[in-house]
Amino acid sequence: MVVAISRTALDFFQRHGEQLWPGARVVFVGFLGYEFKPSALPPGASAVLSILDVAGTIDIARRLQPDARRIVVVSGVAEVDRRAEQQAREALAKLDERVPGDFLSGLPLPELEARVAAEPPDSIVIYLAQFRDRDGRPYEPHEVLRAIVKTSRAPVYGAAETLLGLGAVAGSVASYETRGRLIGEQVRRALAGGPPDPSHTVLAAPNRCVADARALQRWSLDAGRLPSGCEIRFKDVPIWRQYWWQIALTLAIVAGQAMLIVALFSQRRKRRLAEQAEQAHRAELARASRLAVAGELTGTIAHEINQPLGAILSNADAGDLLLDSGMDRRDELRAILADIRRDDLRASEVIQRLRDLLGKQKFERKEFDLNEVVSDLESIMRAEARRRGVVLEIRRAPETLAIMADPIQIQQVLINLVLNAMDAVADESEARRTVVVSVAKGEGGAVLAVRDRGRGIAPEYRTKLFESFFTTKRDGMGIGLSITRTIVEAHGGRVWVESGPGEDTVFQVALPLAFANGAPAVAAPA
Amino acid sequence: MSTTPLIHVVDDDPSVRTGLLRLLDAAGFETRGYSSTGEFLLQPLPDRAGCLLLDLRMPGPSGLELQEALLRKKIVLPIVFLTGHGSVDSSVRAMKAGAVDFLTKPVKRDVLLDAIQRALAHNATQRAAREQTDQLHVRFASLTERQREVFDRIVAGKLNKQIAAELAIAERTVKREREQVMAKLDAHSAADLGRLAELLRRSTAK
Repeated sequence: MVVAISRTALDFFQRHGEQLWPGARVVFVGFLGYEFKPSALPPGASAVLSILDVAGTIDIARRLQPDARRIVVVSGVAEVDRRAEQQAREALAKLDERVPGDFLSGLPLPELEARVAAEPPDSIVIYLAQFRDRDGRPYEPHEVLRAIVKTSRAPVYGAAETLLGLGAVAGSVASYETRGRLIGEQVRRALAGGPPDPSHTVLAAPNRCVADARALQRWSLDAGRLPSGCEIRFKDVPIWRQYWWQIALTLAIVAGQAMLIVALFSQRRKRRLAEQAEQAHRAELARASRLAVAGELTGTIAHEINQPLGAILSNADAGDLLLDSGMDRRDELRAILADIRRDDLRASEVIQRLRDLLGKQKFERKEFDLNEVVSDLESIMRAEARRRGVVLEIRRAPETLAIMADPIQIQQVLINLVLNAMDAVADESEARRTVVVSVAKGEGGAVLAVRDRGRGIAPEYRTKLFESFFTTKRDGMGIGLSITRTIVEAHGGRVWVESGPGEDTVFQVALPLAFANGAPAVAAPA
Repeated sequence: MSTTPLIHVVDDDPSVRTGLLRLLDAAGFETRGYSSTGEFLLQPLPDRAGCLLLDLRMPGPSGLELQEALLRKKIVLPIVFLTGHGSVDSSVRAMKAGAVDFLTKPVKRDVLLDAIQRALAHNATQRAAREQTDQLHVRFASLTERQREVFDRIVAGKLNKQIAAELAIAERTVKREREQVMAKLDAHSAADLGRLAELLRRSTAK
């Protein structure tokens, strides 16, 4: 099986084929017309032909440049070159409108370059191929095209597919790919044996208009003028159009991931916001509860502040009178001033305590003795007890019970429980109007207990007692005990109640000790 | 008997009490301080012009309870109440029970001293009235049994003749006893005697 490319190859096969490859069949590949006529096909051979469509290429050129003044045809002097040039002459002769032209045949490259560069931009340059110049110097036709395209101001056209892409604007060309496929087909048919099918002896790749987008742009030619169906190659296809679905998929995945991330973040943020809101809400409730406590304590607070203020005023007045008397009672005046100072400090201490208890301060944990909480509130609790006619008994633990907690919050727990206890005994007989606050070491750590001798709590209420907004008091808000439980549990502690109808009621709060047996306890970090 | 009035100060808060005592002392009064109503009641009360400066709210019996106790014991001592935080209820109750004033702490000097002065003036009147009654009782006690019988009947509006008949004595004797009664009781008319009889009746009934 022999594939003979070009007429020369076919001639060689005809002369020596029988000798070299006896019985081999031949498929000829070449140009129709100047190279070959189907009638010249040897018996048993088949052919795949292509057409050098100079006329078609000139037509395309003229469409792109309707106002072109000149047509310059470049070709070599090799036999192939000459045949092509001949075709061009014929094609030009057939043009309905005479366009002056020039044939640059077989010029040595430097001269050719200069000549082409001298052409005005409105000329048409048709490059056929130059295999050899007049001096017999051989060329690679593509190199010649490259060279003239570089300097030419006028658009250069090419009539072969391989010229497109090297700088030629456009041309009517046959596809090498199609040619290759046709050759393959003929070879396969020949190898399959049998006589060649007369209807398939000669196949030809069709010529099509092909243009180079880059060259069109370079010479500012309007692609819209190309014949319809013209294939425009090397178009600057945006990458997204070329790989649109890969890009789309990638983008979709990235976008999906991004959305997922955003969603997760937003969820996290929402959760954090919700947590913050809840915390703020809880803090507000705690504060509301403290304010409610403050409301209950108003009488006591006024009393506790008015006492020292009253004493200060009386002392100051007394001092005035002593000075008026004109007697030298310096010692007494000094004692008066000392008392004024002491009472002033006492009043400010009351105010400081209240600010600590009622202000909106940050949560802080520190280590302190649970007994201190009782001591800190003792004066307020006692004053309140006195106002209400309740006997308040306080029993501290003999030892230090160090806990890791927020002292103000623990104070709040204590005051809530004590006020509740005082409320519980309010309507009782004098003998039963007793509240006992005690601190002791117990199983759960440091245990703070508040006992009252009121009516007791009905069993059905005991479970609801620590819920928010549950209250049995006429003007209660129902947040005291729920806040108490929240605070205690936030400190890793436990609050519970022991009571029954007619029995003493004991609220107990157990808080973990900061140092149990000398080792740090499980208390949360500060 | 000292002429300076004695002011009793009952307040459980030592600094308040000390301040008040100092002020009253500097204002020229004699003073005594007590830390509770109980302490006040346990001390013997001298028979002197004075008044009581009383804190309303104290551990144990309150100021109002002391006021009631004094009324029951017929101790004449005007009360000025002091309170850190007065409620309308307790002030009404205190005033109804005869308190001279009801002051809120911290109290201004002038307000306090004014109230004390008023209490003392009130006390002076009370004491004068009591002095009169006491004298009357002494005088009445000097009457003989016969003179008392005559006195009762004069006050009942009976004539000498009727009295003589009732007591089965001579009208002249009645007349003489009547003069004695008038002289002993320092009365000038039957109407005077009637007023005295009313005073006596009220002061013993109380």
